Amino acid sequence: MKANKQQISLGPGERRELVFVQDQPDAAVLEAEWDISLEEGASLSLVFVSLRGSIRNRISVSLNGEHASCDLSGLYLPGDAEEIDFSVRMIHRVPACSSTQLFKSVVSGNGVARFDGLIQVVPDAQKTEAYQANHNLLASDAARAFTRPQLEIYADDVKCSHGATIGRLNPDELFYLRSRGIPLAEAQLLQQMAFTGEVLAKIASPEMREKVLSQVEARLRNA
Amino acid sequence: MNNLLTIKNLHASVGEKEILRGIDLSIRAGEIHAIMGPNGSGKSTLSAVLAGRDTFTVTEGSVTYDGQDLLAMSPEERSWAGLFLGFQYPVEIPGVSNVNFMKAAVNEQRKQRGLEPLSAAAFLKLMREKMAYVEMDSSFSSRGVNVGFSGGEKKRNEIFQMAMLEPRLAILDETDSGLDVDALRIVATGVNRLKRPDNAFIVITHYQRLLDYIVPDVIHVLYKGRIIKTAGRELALEIEQKGYDWIINESE
Repeated sequence: MKANKQQISLGPGERRELVFVQDQPDAAVLEAEWDISLEEGASLSLVFVSLRGSIRNRISVSLNGEHASCDLSGLYLPGDAEEIDFSVRMIHRVPACSSTQLFKSVVSGNGVARFDGLIQVVPDAQKTEAYQANHNLLASDAARAFTRPQLEIYADDVKCSHGATIGRLNPDELFYLRSRGIPLAEAQLLQQMAFTGEVLAKIASPEMREKVLSQVEARLRNA
Repeated sequence: MNNLLTIKNLHASVGEKEILRGIDLSIRAGEIHAIMGPNGSGKSTLSAVLAGRDTFTVTEGSVTYDGQDLLAMSPEERSWAGLFLGFQYPVEIPGVSNVNFMKAAVNEQRKQRGLEPLSAAAFLKLMREKMAYVEMDSSFSSRGVNVGFSGGEKKRNEIFQMAMLEPRLAILDETDSGLDVDALRIVATGVNRLKRPDNAFIVITHYQRLLDYIVPDVIHVLYKGRIIKTAGRELALEIEQKGYDWIINESE
């Protein structure tokens, strides 16, 4: 199947904030490719929210000019019989750029979440700051998550980190909420929403954030 | 008058280890019972079992609360029926604000009683009023549940939640531990304001000093999973002066 390709190029000093909400209710696999390049001093904030479906996102970011910065985040919620996959390549080609990646999934039913993320820092791209995190919350016994965080660093004066977790809802929190009369399903939803908050907080516009938040809540409620 | 809570021969274990080894206890509305005892005697286990924590298995005995089989109820059903546990170690829930937490809890209680959810304005008014009970600053309402709270703030938050939910039976599990005198006074004042003829309290504590502020009708001493002595409030002073050994020796 033909992938849906998009290019985002920011010229010197340009700033942009983008939010992409993906909703793929039918069985077809959505394939999307994002080819992103930032010139000197450009700044991009990009938030992906993948509500449902089988989706493959391939994101390639090239930091081409010094002091460019890219804040990339994603929230993905694969449910029963769905698989949502993020593959990210963040390439620091010149010195003094910064990038962050924050990807979080809540997986329900027998859904599958995949994250394959690479930070690449070329030789001489000194003073790079690059961070990557992938956290997965398994909301059912059959849910699965796969994560592959990778660093390839060829410069020596850089700050880079990556981390990944796969976990379940905290039973102490769950009991605490239930002991106050919040029913099990509602307590789980509160915890899941709390988990997604960090990504949703990246959406700068309050109206947009509220709208996406209610879509996420509706999705998790019916997962 | 009928008992609000009747515990008969309650045994509970965690894994292979039996922690409660035959508890008998009856509580009527309007009473305050204190449970004291050395560390590891089963005090926190008893409160957790009553609140429905599933890490403990009840192996024998029964608990009747307001005519119902308490042990057959889920933790949320127990809360709807008016049971409240003040946690010894209140749980931090990052990402869930205190206000959203309490709104969910209060409106769920209302739903169970066939009432409409409170309007936003009515809820905030109620919340402000109850926060004043424990001298809590309104800035706490927007913060994550217990996140970054000091020990004393967490305990005040427990009493605040209790004030919001107005339980019929409140179990306070070492609410006084780790509190300085001011926080202790605030917590105790909150409890005393909530005391009514139709509700009851179980106050679990190590120390006599809390009982200077919250005056119990009955004191029980728990040791190795059994209540080994029950007496009036004067027992607390005796324990403060002489420790537990004489009671333990008496019972063995």
